[in-house]
Amino acid sequence: MIDTLYIVYTALAAAAVALLLAGRAAGMLRARRRANDLATLGQRYLRLTMLALEGEDSVPRFPELSRPGARLLLARTLSGVLAATYGLDAGPLRRIVRAYDLDGWLLRRARRARGYDRARYLALLAMLPVAPRTVRQTERYLRSSHRAVAFQALMIRITAQPETALRAMAAYPRAFTAAEVARILAELRRGVLPIAYEPLLRAPQSNLRRVGLGIVREFAVEEAEPYLLRLVAEESSEELACEALHALCSLRRPLDGRGVSERVASMERAGRRALLRRMAREAYGAGALRPLLDASERPYYESLVASYKCALV
Amino acid sequence: MERNILIVSRDNFLREMVRFALKDLPAAIHCTADAEGAARVADRTQLDCILLLGAAPLLGGGREAAVLRSGGVRRPKLVVVAWQHAEQTVLGLLENGVDQYMTFPVNLQRLYAKVAGIIDTRI
Repeated sequence: MIDTLYIVYTALAAAAVALLLAGRAAGMLRARRRANDLATLGQRYLRLTMLALEGEDSVPRFPELSRPGARLLLARTLSGVLAATYGLDAGPLRRIVRAYDLDGWLLRRARRARGYDRARYLALLAMLPVAPRTVRQTERYLRSSHRAVAFQALMIRITAQPETALRAMAAYPRAFTAAEVARILAELRRGVLPIAYEPLLRAPQSNLRRVGLGIVREFAVEEAEPYLLRLVAEESSEELACEALHALCSLRRPLDGRGVSERVASMERAGRRALLRRMAREAYGAGALRPLLDASERPYYESLVASYKCALV
Repeated sequence: MERNILIVSRDNFLREMVRFALKDLPAAIHCTADAEGAARVADRTQLDCILLLGAAPLLGGGREAAVLRSGGVRRPKLVVVAWQHAEQTVLGLLENGVDQYMTFPVNLQRLYAKVAGIIDTRI
């Protein structure tokens, strides 16, 4: 009797394991097929988007939009095209966004999501040409305690209303990180924002000065040297003054002013070493930097220069 | 003689986007994902232009350029479009045999005109 029970139990356990394995395999196959289908659909969406950009007035009919994930795929396709290009006619894309209510749909998804998921939906909205009503509806996220959410809400405002971008950046309560400045500069490269570094470097708000320094470094604006020297000498924020010093280095300008030597002397050891590494990368000679370096740093800088390998044509 | 353009990129989206943007050029457009695939296409096809699209922020096409230029022959024209714009990166790519460098975000009309100019000069 016990033997029979044992055999039945083993057979049932084996059947259950086989069923579970089969279910898992079927699930994996289904997921793979769905991913392949979505990839194919993505290519069709890209092709239709590119055709629409060629100047056809009508809005293309994107197939299978009711499928799970298809609307998100369309939003990603449009934002992917916009992120990798500049100078496109935004009209056709705006018509697509409006016809398929992509901004409304992304906004609803953002409302239901939390944390980084919400930030991802807002990041897609920041890339798309959205309606003014959508911009107003995302303003409440500017006050979010989640850093990424608040920043993406700011990006929506900047890209949708570039004429108010300076005001929006000035009012933003957190200090921009390097990654956030890079994201703003990417919009500059796309031509969404003007490359006007002077008002930014003179602005009382540190975030605007930070973006101004980013512009100077990104576009190698040599005319900005007097502003940089003033920032190095007078800036109250140690971090921004260091940024200005690094910007001067990236422009390969002389570092022999009194303001520069005073600032370098007041910097902490780690900051000075970071600056020296930067100077070595920008090919400053050890002799030219003698006034800035103390006796202990000279051998360190010479070792940096000696070890640095530069790719020269 | 038919002209040939090769687009090399690991990013399927970028590859398709650029392929579509160049579709009106009087040339056959081939696509591949990596440098080895590109070398295979280059072996069996007389290419007029290779477009390397650097997809990731830290991958700028340097390795692919080195593979494609390993023979030391500076043909066909090699155009890299990537996200980096640091001077050192661009100099390194030129050192590896790249003929022209453009940064993302790219203007598709300018890219079209540039590639059209390259294949026109090779008639």
